[in-house]
Amino acid sequence: MESSMVDRLTRAGSMLGQHGAEMIQALLILVLGLVALHWLMRRLKTLFDKKFNNRARAATVFSCIYVLLLTSILATTLVQLGVDSSNMIRLVIIVSLIAIAAIILFRPYIPTLPFKVGNTVKVGDLLGKIEATTLVHTRMRSFDGKTIFIPNEKILRDFVINYHVTPTRRLKIDIPIRHVKDLLKTKQLLEGIMVADPRVQKTPARPVVYTLNLLEGCVVLGARCWVENAKFWVAQCEMLEKMLLKLDREGIALAFRRKAIRVFHETPLALAQLGGAAEGAALQAETGSGPGPQPPLMSAVPPEDLET
Amino acid sequence: MKIAESMKIIDAKWVEKQEGFRVQFKRYSDGAWIADMVPPEEAAALDSDVTAWRLAWKLAQSTPLSGKEAEEGDMADIRVVDQNGNPIENYATGEMDILNRLVD
Repeated sequence: MESSMVDRLTRAGSMLGQHGAEMIQALLILVLGLVALHWLMRRLKTLFDKKFNNRARAATVFSCIYVLLLTSILATTLVQLGVDSSNMIRLVIIVSLIAIAAIILFRPYIPTLPFKVGNTVKVGDLLGKIEATTLVHTRMRSFDGKTIFIPNEKILRDFVINYHVTPTRRLKIDIPIRHVKDLLKTKQLLEGIMVADPRVQKTPARPVVYTLNLLEGCVVLGARCWVENAKFWVAQCEMLEKMLLKLDREGIALAFRRKAIRVFHETPLALAQLGGAAEGAALQAETGSGPGPQPPLMSAVPPEDLET
Repeated sequence: MKIAESMKIIDAKWVEKQEGFRVQFKRYSDGAWIADMVPPEEAAALDSDVTAWRLAWKLAQSTPLSGKEAEEGDMADIRVVDQNGNPIENYATGEMDILNRLVD
């Protein structure tokens, strides 16, 4: 037992003595090659993100380059270790071609997460920024500071809104006004506020104000404009503030939903039904009114205590 | 006239499109009032007049003029200007407001 162990160690020692330099060189080539590959692919990714509009095509080209370079590094390492170089070149070509063909053919059918780290997305009811992705789950940071771990399986099954796919987002503010006579003036004021704002863009559409609806005693105007994704929320809040203050200064009355309550005065019969039998009878005697068709009693609360 | 041409006229002559805002003020330093602005000219301007006016208001509240001798660090004549350095009206009041105004 001990002698076989010693034999193995001796053989390993002699092998290291004979091929140690080649092995170290091969290891160096492998490590440095992988580091250089990692660095190069990061640069390429940045470049592709800028140059390619078609993301799927960019990803395919990116993957093909990665496979080619990776197999080249592995082949060089093996050649350094003493493997026959002509066989190795054939092997590299075959492996690369198979890998590239597989990428091109099957990539559209491979389920991938529809976002990248740093994107702001909505998955189901969860809204936040993607911090990291692993094979099992995705880590999201919500805007109120919570860290949420979402199983990738749920993401692939649920609907996902990625706010980074398009650079702009439409801002929507609906303003109900009370009088039709203020309609044109209000439209002009709202549009002017949107046009003057530096964040509002002319594309994909210029700012516009629509007359949306006429309901519950008010005219609803809809202001629409496009702003950068990153500025959407603050721009919406500030635009609403500016619009409300401007309309207030211009004396344009906003309309709010109102509920009218109609109160009928108590009748002797109703009072009697509510328990005041004696008072009811007295009132009945005073007024001489008897039972008969009565208006419906809406409330037992005195009318002066109710808002009308 | 094509629609695109009419749009160019509207863009040029209807409502002026602002490009950015800065808060301009005078600061009392070493016995003299020195003009300054935030963000400085070499930095990007603010893209919101609401933010600029809030900043101006907070600066004014932080350095109220005592009404007597000016003190080191006092800030006066605080207002918001556009990309060309022209004062703009306060979105809240509709006036060309100047906060902590210096009385000559």
